Amino acid sequence: MFVILVYDFNEKRVAKALKIARKYLHWVQNSVFEGELSEANYKKLKIELQAIMHPNEDSVIFYTFRTQKYSKREEFGLKKGGEEFIL
Amino acid sequence: MKRTLYIFQNGELRRKDHSLYFETEGRKKYIPVENTSDIYIFGEVDVSKRFLEFASQKQIIVHYFNHYGYYVGSFYPREHLNAGHVILKQAEHYLDGRKRLNLARRFIEGSIQQMGRVLKYYRSRLEAKDVFDNVLHDFEKESLLLSDAQSVEQLMALEGHVREKYYSTFDTIIRHPDFVFEKRTKRPPHNRLNALISFGNSIVYTMCLSEIYKTYLDPRIGFLHSTNFRRFSLHLDVAEIFKPIIVDRLIFSLINKKMLVKKHFDKLTDGILLSEEGRKIFVSELEKKMQTTVQHRHLGKSVSYRRLIRLELYKIQKHLLGEKEYEPYAAKW
Amino acid sequence: MPVTGTDIWYYYICHREVWLMKHQIAPDQEDESLDLGRFISEIYYRRNKKELSFGNIVIDRVRQEDGQLVVGEVKKSSRYMKSATMQLLYYLDYLRRMGIEARGELLFPEERKKEVVEWTEEARVELERAVKEIQRILRMPVPPKPKKIQFCAKCAYREYCWAEE
Repeated sequence: MFVILVYDFNEKRVAKALKIARKYLHWVQNSVFEGELSEANYKKLKIELQAIMHPNEDSVIFYTFRTQKYSKREEFGLKKGGEEFIL
Repeated sequence: MKRTLYIFQNGELRRKDHSLYFETEGRKKYIPVENTSDIYIFGEVDVSKRFLEFASQKQIIVHYFNHYGYYVGSFYPREHLNAGHVILKQAEHYLDGRKRLNLARRFIEGSIQQMGRVLKYYRSRLEAKDVFDNVLHDFEKESLLLSDAQSVEQLMALEGHVREKYYSTFDTIIRHPDFVFEKRTKRPPHNRLNALISFGNSIVYTMCLSEIYKTYLDPRIGFLHSTNFRRFSLHLDVAEIFKPIIVDRLIFSLINKKMLVKKHFDKLTDGILLSEEGRKIFVSELEKKMQTTVQHRHLGKSVSYRRLIRLELYKIQKHLLGEKEYEPYAAKW
Repeated sequence: MPVTGTDIWYYYICHREVWLMKHQIAPDQEDESLDLGRFISEIYYRRNKKELSFGNIVIDRVRQEDGQLVVGEVKKSSRYMKSATMQLLYYLDYLRRMGIEARGELLFPEERKKEVVEWTEEARVELERAVKEIQRILRMPVPPKPKKIQFCAKCAYREYCWAEE
């Protein structure tokens, strides 16, 4: 599945969230990640983020798509990151 | 399914915290380590020992290619899957001449079958049916001789004949003045088509090697391609089954769709090579192809081409264990 | 080769699996449920290491209740009830042979479920038969043929067993 992750963490924990997200997804821009993930890796990522977050202060949003067929991605301006397999 | 990363730029691969990054011109690109199965390096890339240790821990294989796009070697981390029983059986099938010949023959049969598949596909679509009919007829004759072969060398020679005839149809299939076949030339290839074949084959070899890493098979013990206990060879055997339907079909379609044209090649003093831009197009289209799926009757679901390689290895392992005689994959389209 | 509780577990799921596992041929390490299971158990064990091992058995939990020993076995789901029950009975029987009488509990924390398991003479006879069968399977030169059963669907060996088109 294709996953877009958006988070807003207290600055005490934001670096931790960043480190976890990087293991699974491609960094797009501040607090935004994307990429193709297996079910298992998606669950692992959720477990890892939930383990460090403080539910009263931090927020995580996942958008998941079974296929990218019906979605479109448009980008303007400076390209900062994103899913890339050929560097 | 984990992904493959291709690096053409120059830079450094490093480990940071629990992930990896590639740094080039001050820009750090993090690599989702949990989602990466192998890395292909074409550029000038420095790796640190910490990077290799972590890649090994995460079971990521690194394949190296030189400036010209030739395969240099692979970082094949310490085997994480080991079963004494399987290794012994694999060695037994190599040492026992009859068993080895039997397996080697099966790889050739599979290879001829797949080449035949490709030809039948173009026979149905192109005017010049007789060209294909003649070659397919020869394939049948040569296939009958396979069972008489007394040595792996004889098998190899037979395969050589068949392949030569197979290649002789390429001009009929491609029909493009910039991509004529002439004859098979390697290191360096003498024309553009040969450059494509060489490059494509080398990538498929390494894909097979990456998949072998995920099984209990030992890549050093091949059956058709001789083992010399220094170099990998089993992946060459397995690739025979997949080269025609993956590499050759891709080449035809890239040329046909004009995705690869004259300008994507570099002239050397003694040959021609795919340019960096050309290699990028090639691997990007190959990746797409490897992810396309075909229906698998027994598993009751569709599987990607990449997965088909793994299934082929499972079948070989089952042959070695004495479970089921190996029948090479036969494309059905 | 001594028979372990895990062997008993596999035996009541699939005989082929018993053979493969004992020959160190593990299933596809990238299988989704296997991958996730390993991840969860790593986290779980980091938090509580209450395992107890003696002889060739490993027990998840032990406690004392009304003067009797209670042996707990933690499972992810009750999908493999027969296997789980027989595995726990194997432990109870093992302890009994050492002169310890214990009661068993199957724990399914994710389902908030608990099943009590008691040693019986019939269970002992059944286990004796299973152990002999396991030893016979392990002596086979070639693994038992794959059979399509309900457990195949989520088994990490399914691609290995059904690789042929």
